[in-house]
Amino acid sequence: MNPRWLAGKVAAALVTLVFVVVFNFFLFRVMGDPTTQLARLPRATPEEIQKLKSYYGLDKPITGQFLDYAGDTATLDLGISQRTRRSVWDEIKDAIPWTLLLVGTGTLLATLIGAWLGVIAATRRGKAADDGLLGFSLFTYASPEYWIGIILILLFAVWLPIFPSGQQMTPGEDFSSWFAQAADVAEHLVLPATAMTLMLLGQYFLIMRSSMVDVLTEDFITVKRAIGLPWDRVVRRHAVPNALLPLVTLSAIQFGIVAGGAVTIETIFSWPGLGELTYDAINDKDFPVLQGTFLVFSVAVILANLIADCLYFVLDPRVQAT
Amino acid sequence: MRLRTIVAMLVAMAALIAAVTALPAGAQDDGGKKKVLRLGQAQDVQTLNPFVAQDEENFRAWSLNWDLLVNFSPDDLSPVPGIAESWEVSPDKKTVTFKLIEGAKWSDGEPITSKDVKYSLDKLGTDSLIFSGYTSNVTSIETPDEHTVVVKTKQPDARMIGGLFIYMIPEHVYGKVPIAKLKKDFQPPLPMVGSGPYVVTEFEHGRILRMERNPNFRGEKPAFDEIQFIKYGSVDAVERALRLGEIDAIPEAQAPSFEKLGQADNVKTDRAPSPSFTQLTFNLCSEENCPDAKFNPAVQDRTVRQAIAYAIDRERVNTISTRGTSFPGHGILPQYYKSWYEQPADDYPYDPDKANQMLDDAGWTRDGDGTRSKDGVELSFDLFVRSESPENIQAAKLVAEQAREIGVDFKVQVVSVDKLTEITTREVDGKMAPDFDTFIWGWGGDPYDPSALLQLITTDQIGGSSDAFYSNPEYDRLFDEQAGEFDHAKRKELIRQMVAISQRDLPYLVLTDDPWLEAYRTDRMTNVAKQCPKPTGDVLCQQVNYDAIAQLEPGEGGDDGGSSTGIIAVIALVVIAVAAFLFVRWRRSRGGREPLELET
Repeated sequence: MNPRWLAGKVAAALVTLVFVVVFNFFLFRVMGDPTTQLARLPRATPEEIQKLKSYYGLDKPITGQFLDYAGDTATLDLGISQRTRRSVWDEIKDAIPWTLLLVGTGTLLATLIGAWLGVIAATRRGKAADDGLLGFSLFTYASPEYWIGIILILLFAVWLPIFPSGQQMTPGEDFSSWFAQAADVAEHLVLPATAMTLMLLGQYFLIMRSSMVDVLTEDFITVKRAIGLPWDRVVRRHAVPNALLPLVTLSAIQFGIVAGGAVTIETIFSWPGLGELTYDAINDKDFPVLQGTFLVFSVAVILANLIADCLYFVLDPRVQAT
Repeated sequence: MRLRTIVAMLVAMAALIAAVTALPAGAQDDGGKKKVLRLGQAQDVQTLNPFVAQDEENFRAWSLNWDLLVNFSPDDLSPVPGIAESWEVSPDKKTVTFKLIEGAKWSDGEPITSKDVKYSLDKLGTDSLIFSGYTSNVTSIETPDEHTVVVKTKQPDARMIGGLFIYMIPEHVYGKVPIAKLKKDFQPPLPMVGSGPYVVTEFEHGRILRMERNPNFRGEKPAFDEIQFIKYGSVDAVERALRLGEIDAIPEAQAPSFEKLGQADNVKTDRAPSPSFTQLTFNLCSEENCPDAKFNPAVQDRTVRQAIAYAIDRERVNTISTRGTSFPGHGILPQYYKSWYEQPADDYPYDPDKANQMLDDAGWTRDGDGTRSKDGVELSFDLFVRSESPENIQAAKLVAEQAREIGVDFKVQVVSVDKLTEITTREVDGKMAPDFDTFIWGWGGDPYDPSALLQLITTDQIGGSSDAFYSNPEYDRLFDEQAGEFDHAKRKELIRQMVAISQRDLPYLVLTDDPWLEAYRTDRMTNVAKQCPKPTGDVLCQQVNYDAIAQLEPGEGGDDGGSSTGIIAVIALVVIAVAAFLFVRWRRSRGGREPLELET
């Protein structure tokens, strides 16, 4: 890999990150002052509220608050949650594995199934199978994920009660072994991961299908067929690898975005990941936690883009040539 | 791939499934004997540390974990022994001597002594948000011996008995920690040392709070071994979990789906008055107190406010805005306060004709668009309401709609909490300068002692909690007098007079008394009783005491182990799909050996 090219990409990523850090600060200040809610607490005396404000640094001018924030962020100190008084990093650390599990499973399944269905549709272009798959994927692509989530809960947790309706494992259960716990988590993962997969499936399918359709009409495919290679071998060995490129980059970029986009699915399924943490922090006006989770989301998107660029570089010889 | 390989893979997968599904079944046998009460909530306990807490949800854990110096009776909320067994008020009413229960122990075995009481009153009473203000009158706390506490106050203060809502926490745990740490990020060590029937043994924020029986609890042993508070993503998710039997009770259900929830199998809902209300507030700030306030002067005309009160059907506001889950309001003292409540004489029953008559008599005449005016002043008011409360927005629309009938125009303005806080707490040159005519919002008070709500409209609170900026020396005098009156009958009479004044002057028109909305599974929880206060209170005695939860008994039905059917179904599906895929490939690869096959 060309080191100058890589250095350029990394530098661009860092600039984006700095911009996001600055933007985050002002974004959440627009939401207002977390101590305003205390004004409705008849028990809280004005003196105590004043003390709390100075504790949060809210009595300082906005530039002073910003300098504090920038300094802390630069030293990777995300602060203390205003509500739970735990370190923000601890809160995020607890939530990240659950989000990764859900988003990872969803992205993986959506990529695999989307690609598979895309190939099926492309090779049967214009036939009933193609129309059906196209209709299905456009439908799931267009449906809001919370609606899909609620329908899944209704079907498989309420009417046909085979899956739990929420949580990441049976709460309060003492598991006899790691294995039992993993099985319990797997059971709880089914519905949210299905919702996630359905939410993402459509675009992977559409990309794969159009990319396959392009490749299948190229000359080299005709040549391969003319040589007498079996059709499914032409598809598997020659068409699919060439059509895969846009899908790989999309799934890398998407992974970063959906880490934040899982908010609705996590909330509906009470999945204790970053999404639910963010949702609760918004309700509580917990600035430090919000700044922390948004930082994580931003880093995820920026990193995913960087990785996608690198992947492209490795996968596509044409990029290397430039 | 050979057929034999495929068969071998299938056998391996089947074995894996067997292993996976067999284990949880074994685990359930061990855990099944424990009697667990599971409560679901969308708003989590935020922190266990009482020094930094700001939220009412935290009381769910604290009220089971700790006692007050003087607890509230589940019957009528009147003072009953807590950490103190008995108390005595001196003749000048300025000294109260508490005798503590002898032999009582903390959950870790340490004795509960007067040192703990002094520490709690001193430190929690001054260095916390939620427990401060109660000890403002206290001048000294003395501990002549291990079981005696003597509290002296500046003036007589009836809150000393039944109104000191400060939990008694162990000095030997918190006293060691510097106050700066307590007010920063201190997390109480678990199990959280306490004196109640259950103590917190596990707290995973955002997931679960587990409380187990306190081995040293001095009262009767409760029937449930364990209480779990389980956090869900939304109230919808909590209600769903209750219908499905994943949890046993909900401390906080929501108004829109409350009726429907009660129709579910084995689910019973319970609605009870709580110590909170929703009010229409009028800006009554005087020229002297708020020289720069902005408002329509007509809002300070008492006749206008009284006419508005007659024009608004509070029953209708309740039926529509909260779907009938609240209670129509009757003045500043909610009917929850059974010991003190009396329906006010001036109750403003719905009577638009009378309202019209009053305004006619006062010379407010209707002009072209139907809005009344007098001497160039129009009866046209801003009505601010919080965007986050759909119930309040609905109530505001109803108020506007009904007031239009009597020629009073309310302009409903939906704003953020911050905006509303800003206009109600605006200051100019160090003096309050509220910038509104009217708004709708709510307040919540303490169990038993009504002072917290009654003082909202005292002159002292201008610049503090007062949001109507009402000032009446007579009301203030009565407030001080009732605050120092230990005799129940006399205090009740003083409170009656205060309510009568506030009903005449109407700084607040209380629209609804807000409820506790609870729901529980009848097959999982028995010995349920409406109490705190009997027979109208809520079945969990929320934020009041532990008696209601401690008396609950497990029901017959509902096994709590989650079934493994789902995961079996999925694995079976995956196995079938993999088998089908491999089989097709196997067929194809055989077919593929024929080099000249043509496909179209």
